[in-house]
Amino acid sequence: MADLASRISKPSDAPASDAPAPAEGNGTEQPIDDGLNRGLIESSYDVEVKLSDLQNDTDNPLASGVSSFEELGLSKQINDGLLAMNFKKPSKIQEKALPLMLSNPPRNMIAQSQSGTGKTAAFVLTVLSRVDFTQPTQPQALLLAPSRELARQIQGVIKTIGQFCENLIVEAAIPGSISRETGVKASAVVGTPGTVLDLVRRRQFDVSKLKVLVIDEADNMLDQQGMGDQCLRVKNMLPKNIQTLLFSATFPDKVMNYARKFAPNANEIKLRHQDLTVKGISQMYMDCPDESKKYDILCKLYGLMTIGSSVIFVKTRESANEIQRRMEADGHKVSVLHGAYEGQNRDALLDDFRSGRSKVLITTNVLARGIDVSSVSMVINYDIPMKGPGDREPDAETYLHRIGRTGRFGRVGVSISFVYDRKSFEALSQIADWYQIDLVQLSPDDWDLTEKKVQDVIKSSRARPEYAPSALGN
Amino acid sequence: MAGSSPHRPPSYHRASPSRSVLEEIIDDDRNSEARHKYLLEAAKREHDRIREDAERVYREQLQREEAQRLLAERRKEEERIKLEEQLAAERTRLNALRATKVAIPPPLPEPQQPAPPTPNGTTPAPKSANARAPTQTNGATSQPATKPPGVATPGLQVSKPSAQAPAAVPQKAAEPARPATSALGVGGLLSNVPQPNGDTSTAETSRSAAPPPAQPRPDRYSEIHKNLKNLRKFMAEQAKTNPILKERMGDMRRELRKSVGQLTVSSGVAGVNRVQQQTIVKLMREALSNQVQSQLMDPNEFLLTPRKNPVEGAAHNEPMLPSVFLYLINIFAKAAISQFINEAGARPETADPIGVCVAATLSEPDFLWRGGSMIDILLAKFRIVCPVLFGYRGSEKTEQGRQRLGWWKENGRWVTQQQHMDRMTGLGAGFAAISLRKFMAVKKENPYPPRHYWTAMARIVNTPSAEISDTQCVVLKSMVENYEQKFIEFYGTAALAALRMALVEFPARAPQKTAAVNSLDVLAQLLKRDAGLVLG
Repeated sequence: MADLASRISKPSDAPASDAPAPAEGNGTEQPIDDGLNRGLIESSYDVEVKLSDLQNDTDNPLASGVSSFEELGLSKQINDGLLAMNFKKPSKIQEKALPLMLSNPPRNMIAQSQSGTGKTAAFVLTVLSRVDFTQPTQPQALLLAPSRELARQIQGVIKTIGQFCENLIVEAAIPGSISRETGVKASAVVGTPGTVLDLVRRRQFDVSKLKVLVIDEADNMLDQQGMGDQCLRVKNMLPKNIQTLLFSATFPDKVMNYARKFAPNANEIKLRHQDLTVKGISQMYMDCPDESKKYDILCKLYGLMTIGSSVIFVKTRESANEIQRRMEADGHKVSVLHGAYEGQNRDALLDDFRSGRSKVLITTNVLARGIDVSSVSMVINYDIPMKGPGDREPDAETYLHRIGRTGRFGRVGVSISFVYDRKSFEALSQIADWYQIDLVQLSPDDWDLTEKKVQDVIKSSRARPEYAPSALGN
Repeated sequence: MAGSSPHRPPSYHRASPSRSVLEEIIDDDRNSEARHKYLLEAAKREHDRIREDAERVYREQLQREEAQRLLAERRKEEERIKLEEQLAAERTRLNALRATKVAIPPPLPEPQQPAPPTPNGTTPAPKSANARAPTQTNGATSQPATKPPGVATPGLQVSKPSAQAPAAVPQKAAEPARPATSALGVGGLLSNVPQPNGDTSTAETSRSAAPPPAQPRPDRYSEIHKNLKNLRKFMAEQAKTNPILKERMGDMRRELRKSVGQLTVSSGVAGVNRVQQQTIVKLMREALSNQVQSQLMDPNEFLLTPRKNPVEGAAHNEPMLPSVFLYLINIFAKAAISQFINEAGARPETADPIGVCVAATLSEPDFLWRGGSMIDILLAKFRIVCPVLFGYRGSEKTEQGRQRLGWWKENGRWVTQQQHMDRMTGLGAGFAAISLRKFMAVKKENPYPPRHYWTAMARIVNTPSAEISDTQCVVLKSMVENYEQKFIEFYGTAALAALRMALVEFPARAPQKTAAVNSLDVLAQLLKRDAGLVLG
């Protein structure tokens, strides 16, 4: 993950015409027709749809998207699953991507959308729609993810949305989860590339009837040394006409070229660069007098605003453990997750956090990507993300992925980055410049004042006009 | 005669008429008087014996017949009782339905127009001494003359399977405060069902008889909410001249907010939130002790119903309390509401530990004033952020409608639909978390007993079909989801009837089958699948 920033394109690379979307459609001037959701039509300003050549010819009406799940003609079971999850209408990416992905004959898709905008649900719906439930143990859909946590999470989403689908079996092809005796006996399989490769080679995974291949966090998967190879090898073993769907929050140009070969002739959906910093997230930084004060300041943050769950990103395992000790002494229930924890132990730790038994998660970079816990309302960069030899450069892309853990689905989210010396201050400034965002400064000297400032920032960022259209499909 | 008697003793040869005739003839004294007498005697004995036998058999037969008859009669009786019980159950269910059906909230053309604010006198003591009818405790009776008999009565009157319905009314009147504890089974059902019915009469009144302006009753909760804003200003003013207060107030506020934020779902493990609970109570105690020398205030400013007189045995009877204490309760309420909105909106199950904490804290005997809790401070906030719980209705398609529904505005703009529905989800779950708490094992008084939950549900469910809004559906769903079991524990069959109303009939008559409406259907399916609860 160290080379992430090399793959991000600077905002300036984007076409100059990329002005912020007109702030229409969030029901301000004409709330009267909000129920009809007129605002969604404006979303073409936010989401670029590039149809593959074939579909371009026919001037496909699907390009305009849908404004409700009903229009997609999903089966009742799937629709009920969505309702049970309180999904009431498609997010922006979903309304654009789903008609394209669900159309027949199946076509490939490359979709880029910021975190927390419903990518996972989009491809899960496609998978569920493609699976023939009369063959519950015949693998028909394969989903690849970069980590076991993410694979587990996707497995959970499939099960939840598919809870009313009879005979739905979803298995996770991750180390230690598939029985050696029976092999893969599921219609949908979520796994990490290495394990999937092993299973196929051992002939414990029948890929002959696979109809859909989904790759989540595709930029990371296709680019990373090792994993990219594995993905390709997996792909080469699959049926040639398989529908391939690639999803990620970021698609640097280099990766995009490769992705187009990986998923040929694909429809593409893309968000523009400026929109990549999630607008609903109030981004602040805390000016700490020195490094040793960071612990106490951290604990104080929790009194400043209402916080559901929170994630604290740190650089080293040692500081993760020390923060845990301090925070537990302060009454918090804390989970720590870093590379020292293995496999199923990690599952259990993350599960504590997901289920709400613990509300603070301290982690190193393991979890910067993809993990979705909807109630996370604060992300703390206890250490500014750095990369390169000797941690010389700021890692803007990791910063983006980190803060994307909050503000899910347009909810209120706050990120606070700690700076305490020149180096950390400059690193953060560069990241802020990169994304052209203004970070609000907080100071630990007068907590009454800081509290007020935080509250004001939350209020004003929520009310920013472009917030609604960019962060969610409304 | 011979052989006819069942128990003829064969050894007694002399008396037996079956003795051979020859013997008789040969015998000497065949004709003696003594012998004659003897024979007579014997004959009589025999006669008696037979008669006795016959009589015994006859008696036995009679008894058998009697037993048979009794048995038959008992069966008949049992059958009848069973039928009657069924009938009674049907009737009570019907009553419950009627009762709920009738409880239609007022039309609310103006946001200030109140739903009858907790009309049944709510909590035990003086709260019931409502602005409207201080002397009458019960909603049903406290309704003024406008009560339209045609509407309000059926719910109450149909319910007379013999003695039950009449019994119900006095019971209700006698014990309005404790339905929570008596709520199991039929007794609870009867004592509770009529209550929503009680307020209905007002509701119906204002709806059918007198349109909006007829009842310009001030919305007390909104007043309290204003008073709370003033309290905040008042505290800020005090802090300017009182350095001790300034020093401590902010820290207390942040500490309290942090503690509320630290509450976690228990997953069946007891005591996971003990530390936080203790911290919160400690902070409140500190405020109550008023070491920071805040000015004293009349708590009546923040109560639905003023408590004019001291109550015997209450820990705090003085006319004034430290303002910092009231302020801290305000902060506590605010933290809880904010947590509902921000956390439970995304994950409704997180509302429960907060509900537990609210109930535990506000019922703390030290924090009662004149025998009652200060929960009205929290409810005033609820009234502002989630008005549909209090019977307010509106269209999501109009400015005024949204206002009435509690659709939030930020910097002059409506928040997005998703944000609004998230808020409503969290608040619905939060309301259930507060109003469905069991206090049976504890000596403390429940600050917000379950009948308020019933009332709130009734107010939503009884919305006229044309006025059903998505907001209501979302609130309704989240106040039912994860709480169906508690609700049924409190209200038994009546709860089932209410759930059927809420999850089957209500969505069925909604004019537009939006996703929010359909999600009620789906919840019914979920209950069927996961809890075996068949409502349809």
